Amino acid sequence: MSLSRCRWLVAATLALAFSPLAAGAPSQLVLAIGGEPDDGFDPLLGWGHYGHPLFQSTLLSRDAELASQPELGHDWSLSDDRLRWTLQLRDDARFSDGTPLTAADVAFTFNAAARAGGRADLSVLASAEALDDHRVRLTLTEPRITFVETLHTLGIVPDADRDNGYHDGYARAPLGSGPYRLVEWQEGEQLIVERNPHYHGDTPPFERLVFRFTGEDTTLAAANAGDLQLAAIAPALAAQPPTGMHRVAMQSVDNRGILFPMRRASGDTSASGAPIGNDVTADPAIRQAINLALDRELLVEVALHGFGQPAYGPADGLPWSDPAERVDDGDLQAAAERLDAAGWQLQDDGLRRRDGQAARFHLTYPAGDTTRQLLAESVAELLRPLGIAVEPMGRHWDEIRREALHQDAILFGWGSHSPQEIYYLYHSQHAGQDYYNSGFYANPAVDAHLEAAQNAASFDASLPHWRAAQWDGAQGYGVRGDAAWAWLVNLEHLYFVDDCLDLGELGVAPHGHGWPITANLLDWQWQCEG
Amino acid sequence: MTCLIAALGRRLLRLIAVLGIVALAAFGLMQASPVDPVDAYLGAQLAQVSPEQRALIAERWGVDQPAVQQFRLWLGNLLRGELGWSRVYNAPVGEVIGTRFLASLPLLASAWLGATLFGFILGVVAGTREDGWADRWIRRYAYTLASTPTFWLAILALLLFSVALGWTPVCCAGPAGVTRDELGLATRLHHLLLPALTLSLLGVAQITLHTRARMLELMRSEIALHAFAQGASRREVAWRHGARHACLPALTLAFASLGELFGGAILVEQVFAYPGLGRATVEAGLRSDVPLLLAIALFTALFVSLGNALADGLYRLVDPRLREAYQ
Repeated sequence: MSLSRCRWLVAATLALAFSPLAAGAPSQLVLAIGGEPDDGFDPLLGWGHYGHPLFQSTLLSRDAELASQPELGHDWSLSDDRLRWTLQLRDDARFSDGTPLTAADVAFTFNAAARAGGRADLSVLASAEALDDHRVRLTLTEPRITFVETLHTLGIVPDADRDNGYHDGYARAPLGSGPYRLVEWQEGEQLIVERNPHYHGDTPPFERLVFRFTGEDTTLAAANAGDLQLAAIAPALAAQPPTGMHRVAMQSVDNRGILFPMRRASGDTSASGAPIGNDVTADPAIRQAINLALDRELLVEVALHGFGQPAYGPADGLPWSDPAERVDDGDLQAAAERLDAAGWQLQDDGLRRRDGQAARFHLTYPAGDTTRQLLAESVAELLRPLGIAVEPMGRHWDEIRREALHQDAILFGWGSHSPQEIYYLYHSQHAGQDYYNSGFYANPAVDAHLEAAQNAASFDASLPHWRAAQWDGAQGYGVRGDAAWAWLVNLEHLYFVDDCLDLGELGVAPHGHGWPITANLLDWQWQCEG
Repeated sequence: MTCLIAALGRRLLRLIAVLGIVALAAFGLMQASPVDPVDAYLGAQLAQVSPEQRALIAERWGVDQPAVQQFRLWLGNLLRGELGWSRVYNAPVGEVIGTRFLASLPLLASAWLGATLFGFILGVVAGTREDGWADRWIRRYAYTLASTPTFWLAILALLLFSVALGWTPVCCAGPAGVTRDELGLATRLHHLLLPALTLSLLGVAQITLHTRARMLELMRSEIALHAFAQGASRREVAWRHGARHACLPALTLAFASLGELFGGAILVEQVFAYPGLGRATVEAGLRSDVPLLLAIALFTALFVSLGNALADGLYRLVDPRLREAYQ
C-alpha cells in the first residue's frame, strides 16, 4: 500500500516537472546544435557553407534533393565555353536595413571573397561584374561545373562602397538580405536572431531563434530540463529522449572509409618527406578482398551504436553517386577466392603471403577520435580470419602527414554537398597533394570522366559523368573497379526534437553534425495548437 | 627620491626582460607545435578547398614566411602598439583580449578575494589553538582541497549543485535568449556563483596552511608568552599579534597565486562553459593562433608581475619595519 502510494507520488511529481508550461507556437525557438563560427558571420570567410546562413541570402538555393532552386537569382545560364555564368536577380531583394540589394553588391561579394583567403574557395573565379542593376556575370578561369556550389553557399554582403557597406567588423555586425537579423551574439554562449522585416521570401515561421553553443553534457542536461526545442546529441547519449521530445536520425554522407596507398613502395618520398607506397595495398586483389570481406552492418553496430548506414562510396545517396554501387559484403569465402586467385596463399601461421611478402599493413587513424579507433580495431578483427593482418595505429595528424599519409592505409572521414570532393579524392592531378588524393590514385579513364563532368553544360548534365567515374561498365574508382578505398560507414546525425516541432524533409547531411540541419530552416513548422 | 626612481627603473627593466623572454619562449613553443594552423582552421573542410586556396590562406596569415621573419614582424608591430589580428576570432587581438578579460574579471576578482579572505581567516583560526578541534578539521579540509584537481572539483560541483539539486545554472554567463542589456544583476550573480566558488576553493588551501604555520610560530614565541603572562587570552593574542604577523605570507601568496588563478580559470571556464579569457587561450593554443596566444602570454605575465610589484608595495604599507628599512 505504502509502496504503491509512493510510486504514484513520484509519477505525479515527474509529470508536473516535465509538463510543458504553455501550449501554442513559442515566440522563440531554443536550439543547441553547435556550429558557432569563431570568426563571425562573414560569408567571404566561409560562413554559411553548410546549413542556413540566416543573415544573408544566396544566389541559388538547394532543395532536399540538392537540386538548384531560385533564390536571389531567378534566372541563370552558363555560356557555351563554360566560363561565364550570367544571373538575373530578383528586384525586390532588400538588406535588413531596408536598402535595395543590386548586382553591384553581388559582384563585390564574389570579387572580395576570391581575395579574402578564408574557407570560401573562389580560386577559380576570374572576375565578377555587374552588367546592370539586376544582372551579374561571373567569369571563371577554367570550366568547373562545381562552381555552382558557390552560388548555393556564398551569402551576398553589401558593397564596401556603400554607406552601410562591408567593413572589417562585418563578421560581428552582419548585414544581409536573409530571413533573420542579428540581435546579439554572446561569443562562446549563444546567438540570438529575430525575423528580418524586409525579407523578400515568405515570413519565417519563428519570430526569434536562440542558438545555444553548449557542450555535449550541458546540451543533454538542458534538453532533459525541457529548455530546448532542438538538440544535437552524440550517439552514446541518444538512447533515451527526454519526455516531450523524440529522436530524429538524419541520414548523412558523413562517411568513414579506408584510403589505400595505390603505388608500390619505391623509396620515393613526397615533398614533405613522407615515404610513398605500400606493396600490399598496391595490389587490387587485396583491396577488393577487403571490400568484400568487411561486414559493414556489423561495423555500424559496433562503432556507431547502430546509428549509421553501410557506406560503399564517398557520396552514397547523392545524385553524383552511382546507386548501383553495392557490395554483398561480409563474404569471407568470396574474398578468400579473390586472394587465392591473385597468389596470396594462406600459411600455417594464419597469414597470407605472396613471394615472401606478408599481407600486413598499418591502418592509421587520428588519435583521439574514438569512432575511428573503434572502426580500425573492428576492421582488423574482421580481416584476421581472411589472413590479412591489419595493425591499427593512432597518430596525431601532424605525424600522419609526415610519415603515414602516403604509405599506410588511413581511416579518413569526408562527405560534402559538392562533387568537387570526388575530384580532389580521385583525380591524378591531386595525387600526393596533402590530404586530397594522398594514396596516389591514378586512372586515365577516371580522370577523363571527372574532367568531362567539370566541362559539362550544366550541373544536371555533369551527373552521369561523375557516376561513370565510379563505374563506367569497364572501370572506375569504385568497388567494382580499382577499389581505391574501402568505404565503411555513413554516420547518422542524431537530434532530440520537441514533439511539436516538425522539421519537414531533411535531405542528406554533409560531414559535420549539428548546424547543417538548419538547411531547410524555413520549412520548419510548429504543430501544436494554442 | 632618486633612490626610488632608480628602484622603479630597475624594476621596469626587469619587467621588460621578463616579457621579452616570455614572448620568445611562447613563440618558440608555438613553432614547435605540431598543429598546422591552416589544417586547424579548415577542419572538416580540408578536402573541400583547393590547394590554391590553402596557399592564399597561408599568405594572408603570413605563415608561409620563415619563423624568424614572422617573429620580427610581430615584434615590430608590437613596438608600434599593434598586437595583430586573431586568426581564430577574425578580430584585432586587443579587442579579443579586452572583451574576454572583462568577462573573466568578475570571476577572477571574486574568486581571488574569496580565497584570500576565507583562507586567511581559516588559517588564523586554525593556528590559534594548535591541535584543537578547529585546527584538526581545518587542516583536514585544507589537505583535501590542496590535493584536489580543479576540473574534477568543478565537475563535482556542477553535478551536485546544478544537475542534482538544480540550485545553480548548468552553464554560461546568462540564461537562453536574454541579451546582455536585459540581464539583471541577480541573474548575473546567480550564473557567476558556482564558477567563482569553485575557483576560490582552489586558492584557499595554500593560504590557510601558510597562514597557520606562521601563526603557530608566533603562538610559540616569546612575544606570545609575554602577552600570556600579562593575562591576555589566546584569542586576544591571536588577533592582536598573530594575525598581523601572518598577513605578510598571506599577502605574498595571494599575489603570487595570480598566475595559478589564471590557470585555474582556464579549467573552470571550460567546465562551466563560461566565456572568458581562459577559453580563448585554449582555442588559440589548439588552433595555433600565434598572435592571440603571444598576446595572452604577455598579458598574463604582465598581470602577474604587476601583482608581485603590488605585493612588494603593500608590504611596506602593512609592515612598519620594512618601511623604515627602506628609508
